[in-house]
Formats: sequence, structure tokens, C-alpha cells
Amino acid sequence: MKLRNYHWKENVTGYLFILPQFLMFLIFIVYPIIEGIRLSLYKVQFNQETFVGFDNYVTLFHDPVFFKSIYNTVIFVVFIVLLTVGFSIFVASSVFDKNAKYVSFIRGSYYIPVMVSMVVMSMVWGFLLNPANGLISYAAREMDFSIVNLLGNKHTVLPVIIFVTFATNVGQAIILYIAAMIGVPKDLFEAAEVDGASRVRIIFQILIPLVKPTTIYITIINIIAVLKIFVVIQLLTGGGPNNASVTMMYYLYNNAFKYNQLGVASAVGVIMFLITMLLSIPQLRAMFKEK
Amino acid sequence: MLQTKEKKKREKYDVVSNIIIIVFALLNLFPLYWLFTSSLKNSSDVIKMPPDWWPKTFSFSNYVDVFNNQPALRWTLNSLFVAGVSTILVVIASSMAAYAFSKLNFFGKNMLFVVFISSLMVPKEVMIVPLFRITQDLGMVNSLWGMIWPNVATAFGVFLLKGFFDSVPDALREAARIDGAGEMRTFLQILLPIVKPGIGALFILNFVQVWNDYLWQLVIGQDKNVKTLMVGIATLMQDLNPNFAYKMAGATVAAVPMLLIFLLFQRYFTRGIAGGAVKE
Repeated sequence: MKLRNYHWKENVTGYLFILPQFLMFLIFIVYPIIEGIRLSLYKVQFNQETFVGFDNYVTLFHDPVFFKSIYNTVIFVVFIVLLTVGFSIFVASSVFDKNAKYVSFIRGSYYIPVMVSMVVMSMVWGFLLNPANGLISYAAREMDFSIVNLLGNKHTVLPVIIFVTFATNVGQAIILYIAAMIGVPKDLFEAAEVDGASRVRIIFQILIPLVKPTTIYITIINIIAVLKIFVVIQLLTGGGPNNASVTMMYYLYNNAFKYNQLGVASAVGVIMFLITMLLSIPQLRAMFKEK
Repeated sequence: MLQTKEKKKREKYDVVSNIIIIVFALLNLFPLYWLFTSSLKNSSDVIKMPPDWWPKTFSFSNYVDVFNNQPALRWTLNSLFVAGVSTILVVIASSMAAYAFSKLNFFGKNMLFVVFISSLMVPKEVMIVPLFRITQDLGMVNSLWGMIWPNVATAFGVFLLKGFFDSVPDALREAARIDGAGEMRTFLQILLPIVKPGIGALFILNFVQVWNDYLWQLVIGQDKNVKTLMVGIATLMQDLNPNFAYKMAGATVAAVPMLLIFLLFQRYFTRGIAGGAVKE
């Protein structure tokens, strides 16, 4: 009897401790998801909601701009994630075994743009790329480059945004990889060195396989971060020229807060939600295996 | 490692790759150099071509303009308030939950933890329409509190701190309980001080994350006076004033606080970011 009483008490204590977090979770995560799915099936005008079934989704799939936004988002995700993972492995594997001062200098120089934020970095890049008086446009003119306005050309706008986003955010992946590589037991390298393996071979055959959990983690968080790419689009191109750089998040934002198409915007949100859920399954599975 | 005692000449690959990395690191910092120096030029020097690589004369008038023409001080205080209060609430809610998930036994504990962690992957921006309507119903659109509350829902802190609580031996908590300390006292006076490094990492990471958050604050802060620094400064980009030095001064104002935080607390970042990822 005493025992059961104790259990009952411990249960209540446990629930009380998670209560604040749980309430926030219900109000600001669970409820919005349910409400978002519901709204995506309605036409919303001011305070009036009319059930329209899947009409909003049908509208979306008849809009070429929506397809363009999916296409661009996929391009961004693929290229930015590949660049980020590749470059940060390159940096971390070259740096992690050097002295601590050097490591923290490299870590710092790549991480500072992350700290300073996408907003500030977008503003600087906007200035550098400004066709009238930006440094990069000036250099392009001096070198007789045929395209001076890199953001105003539909062929160059995507590569430029990919580069800016990659350069601004790669620092986080570098920090993660350096930490993971410092954690790899040193005797593994020593054994390989005794066997006469070159550094490149050690990196490819020992280091990269051993930091695979980090690679999975970095890949997933970066996919999800790029999926919602917004700031750089709003501040650098406004989705232009002629929707050439529109992304799903920018499309969602415009529908919701410019064109007042809340139902359509919710449908985009639901599609993005499903994509993130699907993409995060491997990460979640890995985390629970660890437990 | 990689250099055993007897030898040895650095491999060629090692030398070349590190040179490339240093060059890229400096190139990566160049935009920030350009930001700072441009903000100190006057309106004609800043667009001069070929450019001055170092300002000929230093002028702080752009900064004066930013603070005079825009409520930049107010924006800074708003950002401090939003990031500070969000973070305090996050630390309270997630340290309590992390403690419960790590040290207490209750029915459904594992299942609830799985549900929490799954939500980590859903960015709040995806649900921005319903989130906006909820905030509207709560009467918090155009208020700093509307920017704060949705941030508190993130499960990142629970995930990060549970790792720290897990590494504290259970015996410690049991000893405190035997001495007659209640659960809340055990938590506040015994366990919490031990996981202080974790709290520090969470505090800084979350503060920076909210400070640099953009879309949600853009949507909620509609009047000029309830904008946060990031959102307010971004409006300078569309400002009619064509003076780029002025825009760069604004961007510098937005950048400096985070730069300082980074330089002061670098080790917390490394620990927090790496701790939140894959452990061991």
C-alpha cells in the first residue's frame, strides 16, 4: 500500500515538472499543426471560412510559380547541403589535429557570419552585389564580364544565392565536425600511420566513416534549415527576377501576408510539414537507437 | 597525433589544404570587413569606384543618423527583451522537463519524450498561418509577448539538458531525498547547480537564436516601435535613403552585439552546439 502510494506521488511529481513545457508544446506546436491542416481545406475570407475540400491543393498544383518554388527549393537544398557537408569535412579534417589556438581561429572565422545573422550578411552581400555601386559588380565590369547584375539575371541568381547561403552558414557544420573528429580515438590513426597510410587515406578510410552520425545530423538539420530559406530571398531578390528565385517559404509568406490567401498558404505549410517529417525519420531513428 | 615522435615532415596535402582553408577563412571575413569600413565612409566615398580599401576619413555620422532617423535604440531594447525573456522561459520550462525525463519515473515517460523530440524537426515557420491566428486570438499580434511565447515551445533545451542531467549520478539525488529535501528543493539546490554548464550553453544558444530570428518577428511586430533590431534594420535595405554607408551602419549596429557575445562566450558555443548534436 505504501509502495503504491509512493508511485502515485512520483507520477504526479513527474507530470508537474513537465507541465509547463507540455502546455507550450500543445498550444504552439500541436494545435497549430492540426489547425493548419484544417485551414488548408477551407477558403478563408476575413472572418468567414468556407469548406472547399482539396481545392487549395488543386489551385497550388495549377500554379506554375508554386512549381518554380518547389524546383528552386530542391535545387537550394541539394547544392547547399552538398557544399556544406563537403567543405566542412575538408576544413575539419585538415584542422582538427592542429594546435588549439589555430583550431579556434578557424572555427571563429567561419562561425562569425553565422552569429552575425543572415539578415546582416544579406545586407552586406546586397551592397557588394549592387549593380550600380557594389564591389563585385565593379570587379565584373573591370574584368569585362558579360553579366554585371548577378542578382538580376535568371541564370546567375540561383548560384549566387546558393553561394551566399553556404558561405554564411557553413561555420556551424565546421564546429560540429571538428568536435566529432577530436573525439575519435587517437590510436586508430597511429596504427594506420605505422602501416604507412597517407593522410588522405586516413581521412577517407578512418575519419569520414567514424563521424557518420555527425554527417547524418548535419545533413538533416541543414536540409530543414534550407527548406525554410526566406531571409536571403526577401532581402536580396524579392523572389525575382520574374520569380526566378522564389522559394516555398517565400511563396507561403506572400500568399499569407500579401495576397491574404490563408487557405492556400496553409496548404503550402502542410506540404512543407509533411516533407520535414519524412526527412527527419532517419535522424529520429538514429537518436532512439542510441538510447 | 598524425605526427609520431620520431618524425616528421608534414605531408604535402596537409600543408596545401590548410593554406586553402586560411585563404577561404579570410575571404569569408571580407564581407564583414567591408561592412565595418563602409559604415565609416561618407555617402560619396562609399560608392566611389575604384573603391577606397580603407576609409580616407572616418565619419560616424551614419551611426548618428541611424539612431536619429530610426528608433534603433528602441529596436535594440525590444530585441534584448524578446531574446532575454524567451530564453529565461525556455531555461525554466526545459530544465524542469529535462530533470523529469532524466531522473523521475512516471507513466508514459518514454513515449512523451519521443513526442517532444519529434517536434524538434518541425520549424515553426511552416505553421506560420495558424500560429499567427492563435497569436491574434490571444491578442498578442503587434506585441513583444507575441514574439516570445511561441519560442518557449521548442524542445531543443529539453534534449540538450537531459544529456547533462543523465551524467549526474542518481545517488546524489537519492542522498538529498533521504536528507528530507523535497523534489523541488532537490532539483533547485542540488541538481541545477551541477548542470550549470548546460544551462549556460542553452542560454547563449537560445538567446542568439531568438535574437537572429526574423520571419516570426517580422510578422508580429507591425508598428515601427514594436519591431526588433533585425526586422527594423532590414527595413533600411528598402529605405528611400540611397546612402549605402547609412545602411551598412545600421547593419553594423545589428551585428555588433552578437559579435561581442561570441567573442566573450566562445567556449559555450562549441560545447553547446556539439553537445546538442550527437554525443559520444
